[in-house]
Amino acid sequence: MGDRWIWWRLAWRNLCRNRRRTLITASALAFGYLASVTMIGLWGGMMTEMIETGTNLVSGQLQLHDPDYYPERSMYTTLGGRDGIDVDELLALVRDTPGIVAASPRVYGGGLISSGSETVAGMLVGVDPVHEVEVTRLLRTPVEGRAPRAGEREILIGRDMANVLDVGLGAEVVLVAPASDGSLGNDLYRVSGIFATGVAGLDGSFGILPIRSLQELMALPENRIHEVAAAVEDPWAAPALGDSLAMALAARGLDYSVLPRPWTVFRAELAEYASLAGAVNGIVVGIIFVMAVFGVANTMLLGTFERRREFAVVRALGTGPGSVALTVVYEGFILGIMALAAGALISVPVLYWLHNYPPDLSNMFGDFTMAGSVVRPVLRAEYSVDGPLISAVALLITSILSALYPAYRAVKVLPADALADI
Amino acid sequence: MDISLGDRTIRCLTISLVFLGCFLSPLPTHAQDPREIIDRVDRIMRGESSIARFTMDIRTENWDRSLTLRAWSLGTEHALIRIETPRKEAGTATLRAGQEVWNYLPRVDRTIKVPSSMMMGSWMGSHFTNDDLVKESRLVDDYEIEIAFEGERDGVEVWEFLLVPLPEAPVVWGKIRYEVRKADFMPIWARYYDESDEIMRTMTFSEFRLMGSRLVPTVMTMEPADKPGETTVVRYHELDFDVDLDEDYFSLRNLRRQR
Repeated sequence: MGDRWIWWRLAWRNLCRNRRRTLITASALAFGYLASVTMIGLWGGMMTEMIETGTNLVSGQLQLHDPDYYPERSMYTTLGGRDGIDVDELLALVRDTPGIVAASPRVYGGGLISSGSETVAGMLVGVDPVHEVEVTRLLRTPVEGRAPRAGEREILIGRDMANVLDVGLGAEVVLVAPASDGSLGNDLYRVSGIFATGVAGLDGSFGILPIRSLQELMALPENRIHEVAAAVEDPWAAPALGDSLAMALAARGLDYSVLPRPWTVFRAELAEYASLAGAVNGIVVGIIFVMAVFGVANTMLLGTFERRREFAVVRALGTGPGSVALTVVYEGFILGIMALAAGALISVPVLYWLHNYPPDLSNMFGDFTMAGSVVRPVLRAEYSVDGPLISAVALLITSILSALYPAYRAVKVLPADALADI
Repeated sequence: MDISLGDRTIRCLTISLVFLGCFLSPLPTHAQDPREIIDRVDRIMRGESSIARFTMDIRTENWDRSLTLRAWSLGTEHALIRIETPRKEAGTATLRAGQEVWNYLPRVDRTIKVPSSMMMGSWMGSHFTNDDLVKESRLVDDYEIEIAFEGERDGVEVWEFLLVPLPEAPVVWGKIRYEVRKADFMPIWARYYDESDEIMRTMTFSEFRLMGSRLVPTVMTMEPADKPGETTVVRYHELDFDVDLDEDYFSLRNLRRQR
């Protein structure tokens, strides 16, 4: 037992022999750790913001449809088919599912929106104004006016559409939409508000109105809806949550089936971008620690050379080359542990600061778009388990790798030559 | 998306009138020249006016409906179609004036212009598009026309014309095939193909009768290829040619008149 630990002790003493050098080497690793954890945190923050802005504007993170709704999105393919469903029952079941924060029903229709001699083709979305704001933010902050109210023939339109139609708040617009009975639904609506998201596809062609109003326009009964949109606690859990929700609904004995569609499907480019960001993280961590490998190896090589005579003596006294090599590797490992402890200590306040009081660079840079989502130039770091863990493993591997070559050199010391040199 | 109003009906009407006018007129001596035949059709239709009453029976996977309509046309530039029944939609009307298409909606007492992006949308849920209404029947301008077949089919002597769009022609079809009866120049069917040579829809002409002192196909059936079982059948009940209409008749003011 004593024999085994003696090499650890030796390694420790060697590190203590030149404390300044050890401190500097450990600092290099510790700051490498800090850099790695911060980079991963900032990327995570950016990805989270990208996913949030990409999903909570209009789509929600999890949608439920009739299995045949996509890809055609026919107005006839409502949940439960022609018979419709008990909408309140489904909403209650979805809202009661752990991990789901909110849920809201929707109806979609294509139609013409017209005022005077101007007409635009648009996507009409019927929403429950009370619950929709819990799922998405489009209704929350119109730049003018307010969201449409349930029971009123009101519509919220985008800034670009308002400009094309040359209408303002309170203006009357004509909506024309094919109805489910084959007729042409048409009615007058008042513009209750105008939104401006910066996304041309939304601002130019989306019209949002109370769900019942759109159902009436499209001759759909109240129990026929196209979608339930939900907000979830953890966006990355949305796919699994959708599957378990579909199974839970089936187990409840509902006589219709529901197909969950998480954001990773309908915003696949966002999910791919986020995965790509994960790969970039790996590369960044790799670069940081590869740089550290050379620095640490250099210092350790120096230490090994300084102790050539000692290695020669212990070898001459009968110590095997493996034990000599182990001492050096242990040295590297202990250095790594020390650096990790120091790195963790300095990373915690930095991450806390970046998470809670992120520097806002809006003054220098405007909002930018990533994978179709608007992202603010705010350096907010996201907490994660993976970042510190991956960085810690990378740091320890680095410290051991750095010791391998010095260990090899130590083993290669020939006792007679080394002693004779003195 | 089925947004647009009136395509199919109007196109149907236009096409039918084109054919009617074309085939009932005296034919040129070199009638076998496909361009001359088609050009003759165009020429006859230009300046031609008509008033018609017809029904449109639409059958889709989701619903069936029947409309009674009244239509006025002047040349290939002007057309007005007004729904008479069902009552709920009576007065709803579509006006084609030049390249513009307008709809009048009596329920809200408003006219709306059909945007160009909706020209391929369906008219009143039928299998005709707004574009059918607007596109002139200037087939000789837009298509290379040749006789693809000449001979007997099902005991009837026919021509089959192949119409391939000219390179710069602003048309949506990859090609059109028409079959025409030789004896009386009555159309039998027209098949529309996309650019990958897939058939998109077929219009079949039948029940040839004298109407407005001309022999015309009084029934036209449109079948979309991608929706088997769905059809729009246009059946003429009244048809008068060379009526007293001028361009002023096809005004927005007249569009709003509910009769």
